[in-house]
Amino acid sequence: MFQNTKCECGHQNPTGTVLCEACGKPLDEKEAGGTDLLEMRYDGAARRSQKADPSIIDQVWNFFSSVKIAVYLIIITLIGASLGTIYPQEDIFLSNMDMASYYKDTYGTLGSIYYKLGLSHTYESWWFILLLVMIGTSLVICSLDRVLPLYRALNKQQIRKHESFLQRQKAVYTGATDNGEEFIALFAKQAKKRHYKVTRTEDALLAEKSRFSRWGPYINHIGLIVFLLAVLARAIPSWQLDEYVTVPEGDTVRIENTDFFVKNEKFTVQYYKDEELPAELRGTNRAKLYRTDAVLYRCLADCGPSSPEPKLEQVASHDIEVNSPLEYKGLKLYQFDYDSTPVLREVSPMLIDKQTGKQYGPFKLAMKNPQTSYELGPYKLELRQNFMEFAIGEDGKPITKSRDPKAPAFIFLIKGPGLSEEGEPYIYFPMQKDKAAFSQDKLNKGIADRFEIKVGSMTDVKFVEFTTFLNVRVDKAMPYIWTGLAISMIGLIMGAYWQHRRIWLRLDGNAVTIGAHTNKNWYGMRADLAAALKAAGIQVDPKSLDNGGNRT
Amino acid sequence: MRGSARRPVQIIILLGVLLLGGYAIGKTLFASKEGLPSPGDTPPAFTLSTLDGRTVSLEEYKGKPVVLNFWGSFCPPCVKEMPEFERQYEKWKGEGLEILAVNLSEDNLTVQNFVAGMGLTYPILRDVDKDTERRYKLRQYPTTFFIRPDGKIGEVYAGGMKEADIDERVQRLLKD
Amino acid sequence: MNWLDFSSSAFVAAFFLYCFGFLFFVTAIVGRRWSHGNPDRHEKRWGNIAFVVSVLGLAAHLLFFITRWVGGGHIPISNMYEFMTFLGMAIMVAFTIIYLIYRKPILGMFALPLVVIIVAYASVFPQEVQPLIPALNSYWLKIHVTTAALGEAFLAVGFAAGLLHLLRTIDFAGKSEDSRKERLWIEVTMFMIVVAVGFIVTVFAFRAAGYEAQFTQENVQVSQAGEESSKVETVKYSMPPIVKPFNSTLVHMDSFLGIKQPVLEAPSWMNGINAGRKLNTVIWSFLSGLILYGILRLVLRRTLSAAIHPYTTDIDPDDLDEISYRAIAIGFPIFTLGALIFAMIWASIAWSRFWGWDPKEVWALITWLYYSAYLHLRLSRGWHGKRSSWLTVIGFLIIMFTLVGVNLVIAGLHSYAGA
Repeated sequence: MFQNTKCECGHQNPTGTVLCEACGKPLDEKEAGGTDLLEMRYDGAARRSQKADPSIIDQVWNFFSSVKIAVYLIIITLIGASLGTIYPQEDIFLSNMDMASYYKDTYGTLGSIYYKLGLSHTYESWWFILLLVMIGTSLVICSLDRVLPLYRALNKQQIRKHESFLQRQKAVYTGATDNGEEFIALFAKQAKKRHYKVTRTEDALLAEKSRFSRWGPYINHIGLIVFLLAVLARAIPSWQLDEYVTVPEGDTVRIENTDFFVKNEKFTVQYYKDEELPAELRGTNRAKLYRTDAVLYRCLADCGPSSPEPKLEQVASHDIEVNSPLEYKGLKLYQFDYDSTPVLREVSPMLIDKQTGKQYGPFKLAMKNPQTSYELGPYKLELRQNFMEFAIGEDGKPITKSRDPKAPAFIFLIKGPGLSEEGEPYIYFPMQKDKAAFSQDKLNKGIADRFEIKVGSMTDVKFVEFTTFLNVRVDKAMPYIWTGLAISMIGLIMGAYWQHRRIWLRLDGNAVTIGAHTNKNWYGMRADLAAALKAAGIQVDPKSLDNGGNRT
Repeated sequence: MRGSARRPVQIIILLGVLLLGGYAIGKTLFASKEGLPSPGDTPPAFTLSTLDGRTVSLEEYKGKPVVLNFWGSFCPPCVKEMPEFERQYEKWKGEGLEILAVNLSEDNLTVQNFVAGMGLTYPILRDVDKDTERRYKLRQYPTTFFIRPDGKIGEVYAGGMKEADIDERVQRLLKD
Repeated sequence: MNWLDFSSSAFVAAFFLYCFGFLFFVTAIVGRRWSHGNPDRHEKRWGNIAFVVSVLGLAAHLLFFITRWVGGGHIPISNMYEFMTFLGMAIMVAFTIIYLIYRKPILGMFALPLVVIIVAYASVFPQEVQPLIPALNSYWLKIHVTTAALGEAFLAVGFAAGLLHLLRTIDFAGKSEDSRKERLWIEVTMFMIVVAVGFIVTVFAFRAAGYEAQFTQENVQVSQAGEESSKVETVKYSMPPIVKPFNSTLVHMDSFLGIKQPVLEAPSWMNGINAGRKLNTVIWSFLSGLILYGILRLVLRRTLSAAIHPYTTDIDPDDLDEISYRAIAIGFPIFTLGALIFAMIWASIAWSRFWGWDPKEVWALITWLYYSAYLHLRLSRGWHGKRSSWLTVIGFLIIMFTLVGVNLVIAGLHSYAGA
């Protein structure tokens, strides 16, 4: 389709221009004869994408350049996102269970369909990421295609506009004046008072305010692009660390994939006291505080997992609470969970000769990698076997059910005066409950009448009361994420809380024609115009400047 | 930027989108599953000490078919399958088969006592603090990896195995 | 009298002041008809009175907020009661700001009832001050919640103006297909508001009567570790059980209108904790909403929207369109900051990641995407007037679902409580 892009004022406009770049006269033949309000977006400039003969690249470009497409993308994304909230997403489950049957068992057939459609991991699905990528593309191309023409249009505005351009603005005043020169001067003075930037010629005036707010949306879009790129950058493996460490109280534990160690000096859990709770919550355990007093070490040498003594240097310490992680050079340790099951660490029992009443010891018996022989007075104990969670197997032999000291048992050979040469076996259960449950004395048979191994008091038993679980994180993309969001926010504020207002005035002999435009807040725009008119000696009701209805 | 610069800018931006977007979408399609290393993967490297004090690393075994078995004395199916592995070891040793049995971070005493009673001849490796086990992302014991001579995983089997199970897999391994 | 008692009294005062403010706004607008002589002066005078009363209500509400803060030891936004009252207060703040810019009393006729409904809805929830659990003990959380609520409040005022614009511009005499459709949907919107009122009325009616019914329900639960366990739980109803929980047995039920047995049982897929009770509540709300709506229709002898329409004709529809858009333009950046950016900052401190696709987060994002679509449609596609107003109505629905629906229907990290 051929379109004449040369305006009658002599200006040659690029293809796609709606309003002449110079005088503002509508270029379209049909549009030129009309009296409707003008469409003022991008000041009627040609968008970059509009070209007479599009190639494939142009077509792709035009697709992403369309705001209509952008809105469709937004709507599809929001519908897609909402689908992911119908049932819980897979990633909230920590364990490695069979997800297909979980969804079926918990939510029935619908749950099964939900799982099969891949909606149980909506936000990691290819189509959701594709939508986000397309929105990102649209952000770049839409903005680029609009901001440059708009910049050009606003940068070289002609002051005296075509009459039809003024008449077809949304706020219009037409009248007459005896003294055009004075009228313009007074009008300009008032406009300046209201912080307008005024430029004028002999018979025309342009007053403009807060042009920068026009850049708000584009700055916002730049911020969003930075944000999306930062999110993408989180895929760089060395930028990410997400580990969980289990640290029993008092222990120092290596943090996987780093050269750091963390020590749990003390773990505290507090509950609200009854008098702190309202009546209906009394008697419940409402948590008040979870805290790990943690120390972070950097390992200098001998750091391997099998190294018995790594060389550590303290680099940071912090009382980690929920909402208060330990931070050290981008490494963050978060309070994640805790376990209050006591874990036995070490006992210091005595060997008691039941016949003489003599006591030998105490000797230190660690649950993990214990010493294997002990000299106690005339007696010698040789540790022969240990079981972390003692049980009797199917074949009647003792076995262990796990590798954690839940029900530890130790088999010693006792040698010494009055005992056989090769020694006599003695089984020892450090925990009272196991001693009773497995009837230690019965297992020991005869020797139980002569000897007993037992702890003197609770001070001879070492427990770990709490185990804390910490989440260790590195996310090097975070600064860029915050930067993107900050830029975006600045753009939003610029665009939303300021309005670009312009008033054009044109004198034709005695006739005054004024048109005004703003991108939002016409109420304020009309008030400004009315105030300037008043200063120039014309009293009008601001509402009367309204040139008629919105397009609905 | 009208005219000459326009086309290059378009091409650069679209290429950038294609590259970055393609990467992002590709990642979702080929996401590494948060599970066991699977056939075709290179098994995570490790260096562990044996019961008799030697140090062994997996890479030393490159070029040989390796059966990597994780076991613990606390796990009955692990215990049950160990003699079966021993018999297989005897059978295929001549063909170059290696068996590495990694203990699941148990005590010195426990492992020594246990192995002494079994009469095993293949090397027993000692994991420390669940380090290796964690790197293999084990969720179930026992788990056995069949590693091909080219150093890649051929098969993975979670759960206790009978001699026949082992035999057919070892044969496949030796064929490669 | 301690802080908290004083606080409760201030709350009651605020509630009644809002109600009176609403009545005075109605007087200002409806009274134009019977003020002989000068309707504009009448509107201005009553408008001013109404505004002053509303601002006094806001002052009392602020007093409630501050004294509860002092008395409770933490900022009162940590459970559903506190959050909804705060939202009501935020809407009042947004309304006051918009009112000061545009000075249209008719806006009060729509914003005030919204506040009254939300504040009344808040009172449905338990009102005790609950000490904070560790996860909620963060000043970023407080900043996040307050800012998000303020943003949502402006969007809600945008909805009030948009609804008013629709009531003003819809052709109630038109015969065309379009205007019939519009009349239908505006009436549906009004009906939904009546249902909300119905819900509140029902809750308080049965609470005043002390109604109670009890069931035991057997629930099979699968824990996060994948272990199945079955648990027998007691479910308490405070409304007569039309629907009893799935797989439950009646323990005790106060008879209601001679009915001593529940009529129906909830379907099996509604097996969540309290799902049966929620379904029962929804049914009751619709029932009482229908009754209320029926009475209103009998009294008015036409649809609610048609009854309101005549009182809106004195205002310029363009002004309403602009007020609606302006409120949203003010609210959108605040919402972005509060509901997304501050939320991310808090999440990155408390949960070790800035975004976790938690249902509440997703719905905040959906709200944001929706309103950004609104802005694009308006700014770039020229969707002004009615189309834009319909969008504000849908937008408000999305906000309400995000704030209330997600908690009731979908559980997540944010689910403080459910009615």
